[in-house]
Amino acid sequence: MARSTSSFNYDRIPESVTPPDFTSLRTLWETVARLRQQNAPQRQRFEALVIAQRGDNQKLQEMREWWVTRMIKTRRPLQEKLVLFWHGHLVSGRPDARLSENLFAQNELFRRMALGNFKELIVAISKDPAMLEYLDNESNRRGRPNENYARELLELFTMGIGNYTEQDVKEAARAFTGWTRRAYDFYFDARQHDDGPKTFLGRTGNLDGGDVVNIIFEHPATARFLPRRLFEFFAYLRPDESLVEELADLFRRSDFTVAPLMRTILTSRAFYSERAMRSQVKSPAQLVVGTARLLDVDSTVSPQQIRAMDLMGQALFYPPNVGGWPRGESWITTATLFFRYNFSNLPLVGGRMPGVAGRPSAQPPLPPGVTKALGGANTAGDAVDRLVDVLLAGAMDDQRKPALVKALGASSAQQAFAATGGDADARLRSTLHLLMSSPEYQVC
Amino acid sequence: MTEGMTRREFLYKGLTIVAMGATAPSFLTRTALAMTNPFDIAQVTSRPGVPDDNVLVVIQMGGGNDGLNTIVPFNDDTYYRARPRLAIPRNEVITLNSEVGLHPKMAKFKEMYDRGNAAIVQGVGYPNPSRSHFKSMEIWHTADPEGRTLRVGWIGRYFDSKCPVCEQPTVGVNVGPSMPLAMRSDGGQGATLETPDAFQWMPSMDGIGAREEMEIFKMLNAPATNEPGTIDFLRHTAMNAVLSSERVREAVRLYKGGIEYPSNRFAGSMRLIAQMIAGKLPTKVYYAHMSGFDTHASQQGIHDTLLEQLSTGVDAFYRDLEVQGNAERVIMVAFSEFGRRVAENGSNGTDHGTAAPMFVFGRRIKPGLHGRQPSLADLRDGDLKHNIDFRSVYATLLDKWLGADPSKILGSDFERVPFLA
Repeated sequence: MARSTSSFNYDRIPESVTPPDFTSLRTLWETVARLRQQNAPQRQRFEALVIAQRGDNQKLQEMREWWVTRMIKTRRPLQEKLVLFWHGHLVSGRPDARLSENLFAQNELFRRMALGNFKELIVAISKDPAMLEYLDNESNRRGRPNENYARELLELFTMGIGNYTEQDVKEAARAFTGWTRRAYDFYFDARQHDDGPKTFLGRTGNLDGGDVVNIIFEHPATARFLPRRLFEFFAYLRPDESLVEELADLFRRSDFTVAPLMRTILTSRAFYSERAMRSQVKSPAQLVVGTARLLDVDSTVSPQQIRAMDLMGQALFYPPNVGGWPRGESWITTATLFFRYNFSNLPLVGGRMPGVAGRPSAQPPLPPGVTKALGGANTAGDAVDRLVDVLLAGAMDDQRKPALVKALGASSAQQAFAATGGDADARLRSTLHLLMSSPEYQVC
Repeated sequence: MTEGMTRREFLYKGLTIVAMGATAPSFLTRTALAMTNPFDIAQVTSRPGVPDDNVLVVIQMGGGNDGLNTIVPFNDDTYYRARPRLAIPRNEVITLNSEVGLHPKMAKFKEMYDRGNAAIVQGVGYPNPSRSHFKSMEIWHTADPEGRTLRVGWIGRYFDSKCPVCEQPTVGVNVGPSMPLAMRSDGGQGATLETPDAFQWMPSMDGIGAREEMEIFKMLNAPATNEPGTIDFLRHTAMNAVLSSERVREAVRLYKGGIEYPSNRFAGSMRLIAQMIAGKLPTKVYYAHMSGFDTHASQQGIHDTLLEQLSTGVDAFYRDLEVQGNAERVIMVAFSEFGRRVAENGSNGTDHGTAAPMFVFGRRIKPGLHGRQPSLADLRDGDLKHNIDFRSVYATLLDKWLGADPSKILGSDFERVPFLA
């Protein structure tokens, strides 16, 4: 008998990372609102606003550290990876979405519904306060609609460009009029809702946002759109159309539930094919989180590591635009490659890297993942092979290995290797940094 | 990086990695040729009268700039009726003629205009306009509204054609987060950076020493033949990065400064470009970014700030070039992926539209207004109709400034716009 999707009920697995608390920040924002209501002196209101904004920024930074630490420590890695996927797919972020508490609530929504029903998630995100602010639907009013949310809902979230007309965008925008928020909560403002007849994708009626979502999910393009994006996120870009069709069929049959789709992707032949191997450029999150997990180093992420991720192009909660993060080779520029290469100085040697403020910390011991791998290595060549296995999954051309043998201080691969004594420690640290400053370390 | 690295050395590493007797990758041999003397290679095909050291700076106004509130048709009542809350009041417009004028925050722009250093190309767009940011941006970057060539951009295709210094990794330098599609080329040239100090590889601290690490770094990163696409791409990017790193940081070190720039990100980008120009980087095209023009809500304050930043940033940059003695060599062109809807929405903002103005700055341009302001009485689906195809602007830049054949790069030829003689 097929296992039900409830086997994905992650709530059974405990998480140890404590989420941020918003109680005091809420008080700060309540003060701002109260002073405004009381028509308090300008200066007093301004001071309260500055304090609340500062508090909000600090909380957002705390959230960023919390999330990456959770990615590192989690016992539910698929869930966290999907939260990252949803953050890049149903995009909201600073500066347009201002309240960090709303961004946190959205992050938790993604966690809760990570493997759930996509249609329900689309309804939920349409009412999500951070999204309502980010794509301006909070001010989408009867008579003079704001098209921002409606357009991106169709283009980027559900169907993809080319499956609807400009008129469909305008009609969908009308259907979502009045979907607004009060601070932290969704609110339907009936006075601002346009309840006249609309025609969307050929269907006419007194449509509201929910009807628009229903019609979107009846369109064949919708069944293909998300499976393609998910497959590309987990496996490789530009999959064959026949594969997308298969996934689309399954997605439709499971009434747009993500869990069976994910199970099929992760057990598919394509996922384990030659084409999927080492063809994916690691996102900055994958690079930073993966390094910490791989080396088994201190698993609480530092503010410096978060800053390094920002410089690599993935500032969590500050997506570049509504299209989300870069993908594939777009992560790589001459600038980001230096940041990615220099990054290993942070976890490996407690050092610093250009572009990231902060003094070097005390040099940590060699990562347990490394010392374990090297146990029993007798020759320099053997040691290099083991490091290449651990860090690069074995993927380095034999012609380049002599360079690493040299880094270990040996003149040939046959020379004896000792992990301790003399300058062994310094040589190992250099070798690790060099291994992580390689093209091979950037892919998975 | 304490140890200097020559291009020859880096390439030598790569060539030694390649098995003896095998054909060296063409990228390596071409770069090996080009690196000896960047401005003196025998592949110059530029036109008589178009100097080899001309430089183009592209400014991307990301998000869709509201052209109607930038070049304001202040004499048209239709404009005021369509925008009861957002229209720029007549008495605040900086008039250019009896019909149109500049947004009030563009005073510095007006000064450049009056000195003959600014041109406005009105009503620029393309047929069947897309109102998607991503699709429309792609069209502007590839210069291909039919979407046939998505892999390389119009500037990249220029790099792939023969041009002075086109083999150099720094032929195109992007100051911003990611390499624009416009600059992507088959040859893989081009560099991206934002902060010169961080634009270098750093050996580990307390390791075996910078010199030895750098040696090995080169062995690990040098390109070779027959590698999978992504790894090959990463190695070429690493090589471009290392080769550009030294040059860029050296150029920036030599910069004397003296001109004060406003303190915002765009001005910082323009200042960095001025530094690289002063340092004689072998570069034909620089790329700078502004973002935030997607003003669906509460447009006024945001748009004011952006137009002020554009005007003051370009003005400071131009004055810097004059002090350097490089004003003759450089022109700037500013574009956005689309304009905005004629009528304002209910959020005190504007939704995605179509045609909008482009701007060209420089000493050797033909200043003033080019083309016609699109009519507000003749709309399509509430949007402006374009009068000038953006590829005409590209063709003019390629032909008259970069000395290239536009029809080869754009697929067919387009009428020139007379902002360059």
